[in-house]
Amino acid sequence: MVQFQDVTKGYPNGVLALRRVSLRVDPGEFVFVVGPTGTGKSTLLKLLYREESPTEGRVFVAGRDVSALPHRAIPELRRGLGVVFQDFKLLPSRTVFENIAFALRVIGAPPQEIRSRVIRALDLVGLAHRPDAMPGHLSGGEQQRISIARAIVNDPPLLLADEPTGNLDPNSSWEIMQVLSRINLRGTTVIMTTHNKMIVDILRRRVVQLAAGRVVRDQSRGLYAVDA
Amino acid sequence: MRSMRSTGFRRRTQRVLEQGTSFVADASASFRRNGLMTAAAVTTIMVALLVVGAAVLIGLNLGNIAEVVEGQVQVVAFLRDGLTSVEAEKVRTAVGAVPGVEEVEFVGRGEALQRLQQQMGEHAAFADLASTNPLPDSLEVQLTDPRSAPVVASVVARQPGVAEVTYGGEVVDRLIALTRGLRGVAALLTVFLTSVALIVVVNTIRLTVIARRQEIEIMQLVGATPWFVRWPFLIEGLFQGAAAAVAAVVVLGTVYLVGMLRLQVTMPFLPLAGPADAALPLLGSVLMGGFCVGAAGSLLAIRRFLTS
Repeated sequence: MVQFQDVTKGYPNGVLALRRVSLRVDPGEFVFVVGPTGTGKSTLLKLLYREESPTEGRVFVAGRDVSALPHRAIPELRRGLGVVFQDFKLLPSRTVFENIAFALRVIGAPPQEIRSRVIRALDLVGLAHRPDAMPGHLSGGEQQRISIARAIVNDPPLLLADEPTGNLDPNSSWEIMQVLSRINLRGTTVIMTTHNKMIVDILRRRVVQLAAGRVVRDQSRGLYAVDA
Repeated sequence: MRSMRSTGFRRRTQRVLEQGTSFVADASASFRRNGLMTAAAVTTIMVALLVVGAAVLIGLNLGNIAEVVEGQVQVVAFLRDGLTSVEAEKVRTAVGAVPGVEEVEFVGRGEALQRLQQQMGEHAAFADLASTNPLPDSLEVQLTDPRSAPVVASVVARQPGVAEVTYGGEVVDRLIALTRGLRGVAALLTVFLTSVALIVVVNTIRLTVIARRQEIEIMQLVGATPWFVRWPFLIEGLFQGAAAAVAAVVVLGTVYLVGMLRLQVTMPFLPLAGPADAALPLLGSVLMGGFCVGAAGSLLAIRRFLTS
């Protein structure tokens, strides 16, 4: 599903966010990317949805080399994956329903399909009963579930989550993890960056650990950290 | 089969219409929201367009005048004061012998005054002139080829008894120089004012862009095409340009009509461009200019916020 080949990413200010990273994620996997702040976790995801392109090396998404993708092909790439952020990125002046429908409208989805697809996505994240609420009136966990619903409403085979529980209390974090696991069980590949030791240690999924831009550990059914 | 295709077509058309309607609604909403800035933008575009339109109108009329004058090229030799009719006849024969001259007609000073009076219309001022006619006797020289006017004029000027020679070409040359100068000044002014207008438009639309930055970010994230993101802002820019153009056309049109009527009373011999002739170039240049400034301004305003 995803492959990094010897990828190095340097920013104009001289920071090397990733150094010669090679990584392969198969369809249907659930991968935690862990490591301290500033070790290149977010950069790794940005290369996948082409917010950034690599300085060296190649990045493949669904068999396509996205490091060499022309600008006009980026919208097509992004329609094939969902992205979730720590800060939700919801539109505060629109209802829950409208926030999700927005993602379908701007890619020109047929209007007669929008309603049923939004309801289905809301159902999947357990918020089918609140389509008319405003995001500001909901808890952080609920807001994050809306943003997940928006990310998957187009049924992408790949879901990227950048610290999705970073702003949430433990209970809400568990709700989010349940939703992400359910989505993964339907066959969607999930790549999630996190600081949350407890979640990683309890779920025991594949763990890729980054340190100073390098992959220092890649372990299936791993823990957040390996004790010496 | 046929009905299926036509429902598909109808659905597509309906979608394009719905999308277009929502774009226009977005654009007009922000037109209302940023009222003061929008008014400033429309006004500055209008000022720039006034210069463009005025230059077009003046250029059009100078061109018209030059054309009319060019068609009447004729060498006129003014005779010295105090020549007897025999002496004048001698000059006429000499001028008639100059190569390139087809025909020479003697115009007495009395006749010249009458002609002038006819050309200028009935004005009281001429009554006084009848006693102290300031016009000299003259010879009107028809040429075999109007282009030889400068050469013929210089030969005729050397004939004894000829005080001064004019030919229409001088006027034409001066008109062309004037038109060229005017175009230069107008071009400089247009460039300057258009840049100012562009800066104001960019800043106005950037307000909308910033107000909707989050939406733009999400749109791009979920895979909206750059043109889908641009359309509402482009429409807003075109609105501003069109509003300014309409205002400029109204102002220029009114001023031109009033000015033309006045000029026709005082200087009826001027071949001015009528409203019908002036309308198309004026509308074309001003509307075109308005749309261009509006579109360029909005595209520049959103450029920085489009990552792809």
